[in-house]
Amino acid sequence: MAIIETKELTKHYILGRKKIVVGLEKVNLEINQGEIFGILGPNGSGKTTCLKLLLGILFPTSGEAYIMGRPPHDIEMKQHVGFLPENPYYYDYLTGPELLWFYAGLFGLDIDTAKKRIEYLLELVELHTAKRLHLRHYSKGMLERIGLAASLINDPEILILDEPTTGLDPIGCRDTRNLLLKLKEQGKTILLSSHFLSEVERVCDRIAIFHRGYLLATGTLDGLNKQYQAENLEDLFVKTICKFDNQQNVTTGETT
Amino acid sequence: MKRMWLVGLNTFRESIRKKTLYIILIFALIVIGASKLFSFLTAEEELKMIKDVSFSAIEFFGALIAIFGALYAVSAEIERRTIYTLLTKPIRRSDFVIGKFFGVSMIIFVNFVLAAAFFIGLLIFKKSPPDIQVFKTLLLIFFELILIGSITLALSTFTSDAFNIICSFFLYIVGHLTSYGKELIERMENIVMKGLTDMLYTLVPNYENFNIRDKIVVGLDVSWSYVGWTVLYGILYMCIALYIALYFFEKREV
Repeated sequence: MAIIETKELTKHYILGRKKIVVGLEKVNLEINQGEIFGILGPNGSGKTTCLKLLLGILFPTSGEAYIMGRPPHDIEMKQHVGFLPENPYYYDYLTGPELLWFYAGLFGLDIDTAKKRIEYLLELVELHTAKRLHLRHYSKGMLERIGLAASLINDPEILILDEPTTGLDPIGCRDTRNLLLKLKEQGKTILLSSHFLSEVERVCDRIAIFHRGYLLATGTLDGLNKQYQAENLEDLFVKTICKFDNQQNVTTGETT
Repeated sequence: MKRMWLVGLNTFRESIRKKTLYIILIFALIVIGASKLFSFLTAEEELKMIKDVSFSAIEFFGALIAIFGALYAVSAEIERRTIYTLLTKPIRRSDFVIGKFFGVSMIIFVNFVLAAAFFIGLLIFKKSPPDIQVFKTLLLIFFELILIGSITLALSTFTSDAFNIICSFFLYIVGHLTSYGKELIERMENIVMKGLTDMLYTLVPNYENFNIRDKIVVGLDVSWSYVGWTVLYGILYMCIALYIALYFFEKREV
């Protein structure tokens, strides 16, 4: 059964008086419980727009989105979701533990649970030695790690991660990958967007490829490789995108 | 309610730790302290001067704190994109707006109390402890500052920072000139201009209602019923400002 679902989800941005930019166009997605689902696409392909629509940060032009059968603005649903934005920015006047206490409070965790959870997460992301450091003094990698800890503060059933390995060094990337696999073993559902193909290839059960706001392909990596006669994910990625661009150029009469 | 409180507390904590608003408070304290320089006047005149300058300083610098505190409270969350992590938590947009209002009110309250305590200390030092009329004046100044903050907060949900600052200061100035505005409207002959000015007069909160310091300084009394009605007037405008903030923020994409 799909735990995350979109139906004809569309987002158009209006720029100026008449110009309309397609952020997302009639996207139908079904993400099953317990799987790691990767959204792939070049910059500006609609990955982040899709995640923001699912979380109620943006409002759809048309179509519907559901998490656990509930609409994006539903408070009860958000109780079970963790989110890590791309290049996360946090309150730089807070320390790591203070940030986690703030979010624990918003999730309504009691003091004992929050305390244990914060200790555990700081150990997990290896920031327990930087407890007194304000976030303004954090490196990019440290911010990414405290962001990951913040997204896990409520022990979420569903984890939505936007470019989770951006800014991390190779060891940080490996640790994040291992953590995602561990969370999957615990039965969590993970939806992540990335343009790091190798990361996606290693952890995702199924993928979706976006380009210019359109969902071009979705399925398991093996299934899609066979369908598009691709050798690997990179080959598949290039083929689907080139095929789409060629079709668009034929429609609009452009030549490449 | 707990979530609103947490958002408010976080807003307040930010202002305390960032220390930017302290500068305005320090200026207020300097001006209040400087009012003591009028010692060449008679004792009675000097006391009037201390009260007049101090009330004005608390009100003006308090207005600056209210405007910049409220402006920063919402726009910084959007600019720094911290709002993404906040709105994806189990928090309603209305919790966010009202929480921000609590936070801004706390910022105004603490700065106001510090400035007022300094002023009262000065009066005690001058062997003229404050009477109830002084506290009535301070109470109305406080409600005026909260109203100024809530209007800037409402504007920040749908305008840019630059436009918000211009609007907030415009309303602050016009709000203190509304009594002159009424006279102006009565003299106008152009019906369209008269209608527009009349509409502006009705919409803009009359901040002069909160100004009783001219009477208090010269020793006149202001009744509790006037203070009560003015506080109610302020609360009504605050509710309207918060409703506007909620309406626009519910529809805003961040």
